[in-house]
Amino acid sequence: MISSVLQRIASGDPAAVRECIDEYGALVWSLARRLSRTPSDAEDATQEIFLDIWRSAGRFDASQGSDKVFIAMIARRRLIDRLRKNSAEPPMDPVEALESVAWADPGTASETSMEAEQAARALAELRPEQRQVLELGLLHGLSQSEIAARLSMPLGTVKSFMRRGLIKVREYMNIDAEGVLSEG
Amino acid sequence: MSEPGSPSQPDEALLDLLIKQVTEGLSPAEQRELDVLDTDAASGYLRDFEQAAAAIALAGSANANAMPEPLRQRLDESARTFFAPAAVPQSATPSARAVSGFAANGWWAAAACLVLAVFGWVRSPSPAPPAVSIAPPAVIAPPGPMVNATPPPLAIPTDERAALLAKPTSLKIKLEATKDPGAAGASGDVVWDPATQRGYLHFVGLAPNDPRIHQYQLWIFDGARDQRYPVDGGVFDIPANATDVVVPIHAALDVHKAAAFAVTVERPGGVVVSAREHIVVLGAAG
Repeated sequence: MISSVLQRIASGDPAAVRECIDEYGALVWSLARRLSRTPSDAEDATQEIFLDIWRSAGRFDASQGSDKVFIAMIARRRLIDRLRKNSAEPPMDPVEALESVAWADPGTASETSMEAEQAARALAELRPEQRQVLELGLLHGLSQSEIAARLSMPLGTVKSFMRRGLIKVREYMNIDAEGVLSEG
Repeated sequence: MSEPGSPSQPDEALLDLLIKQVTEGLSPAEQRELDVLDTDAASGYLRDFEQAAAAIALAGSANANAMPEPLRQRLDESARTFFAPAAVPQSATPSARAVSGFAANGWWAAAACLVLAVFGWVRSPSPAPPAVSIAPPAVIAPPGPMVNATPPPLAIPTDERAALLAKPTSLKIKLEATKDPGAAGASGDVVWDPATQRGYLHFVGLAPNDPRIHQYQLWIFDGARDQRYPVDGGVFDIPANATDVVVPIHAALDVHKAAAFAVTVERPGGVVVSAREHIVVLGAAG
């Protein structure tokens, strides 16, 4: 039975394409706004992301994660790609870049998605400075070097915080208990 | 964490590169370094880190605001044209579209013939095919949602392609022109790295296209998948006056065993399914 809007797009349902915008527009716009240098860039990025989503819908596998994680993965890939291509341009507006983040409450994040709740629970266990590194890197698009400079923190510490944070979330998402998950 | 580089654990340098790829992207030099360090497990770690990063992004987007109305209208227009009638045969039945929405049997036959007879599959041009629009040199693509979706081919660093060509495990395939009128004089090659799922097309003499009217689209036949459903390899343009063009491959799905590559001419933005009316170049793994 086809229930996901992504699966319907993959099957060729034209109505599902517009429903996809209804369902995920705010999420994609939110991610694009944070990881783009200007509002105009964010609009162009949002269009590119939705095209990517529609064309990649056949790749969605509900057994591998939720539709929202799939959407966010595609969005982040495109946004990072755009940031790198525009790396010669002036840095992002610092006011926009540090716009405050509304972290989901671990108790209610399941309304967003199961993975968001898992991530929120994992983040709640991190020290504030670890969480700040993840926020600057993953939500505001700062490079590890930029984070180190902004927080006056050694680059190695930034890398360590980033790695441990991702691994912590990954543990909560119960993905493959082998490999890097054993790191403390 | 156990000793770096042990059989069950990824190398520290590999982990650093994978996390940097997920968080900020890699430079060409770092990508080459990753190619050297790459292991079969790397793609699994990369996917897991990407999922974790996406989950964090979701957790940090609890109060996402609606997009501006003008942008919404632009997206609605893109959505309206995404499934253009030309992409789906008018005779397609609902049940057929539920399966593929296009000439699935044609693709299956295409892949089979590619592998068995090397290009013998290509059908003759139909009696009255719609002409492939070729961009005059002066035409400049206007801004638009679909046009913007295609990165400029000439901006791709050729050293990344060179690195893949030098990699012993990469797949190198010659591309040959079909009898389609739009393919005259075209040739090229493809390099594809199964480990990293990265690759490049290289064309010489492929006709420039007007992206307002048509774009090229790559299809990858995966020997490990149902051959009726080639993997979408991305849309691209050939700029006016360009004779030698390198195009990155953006496979929409993981390609487990690349068997053949085909390029079609499609409407702007590409299609989810192709009517394969204009196949311009083909290449099959030996």
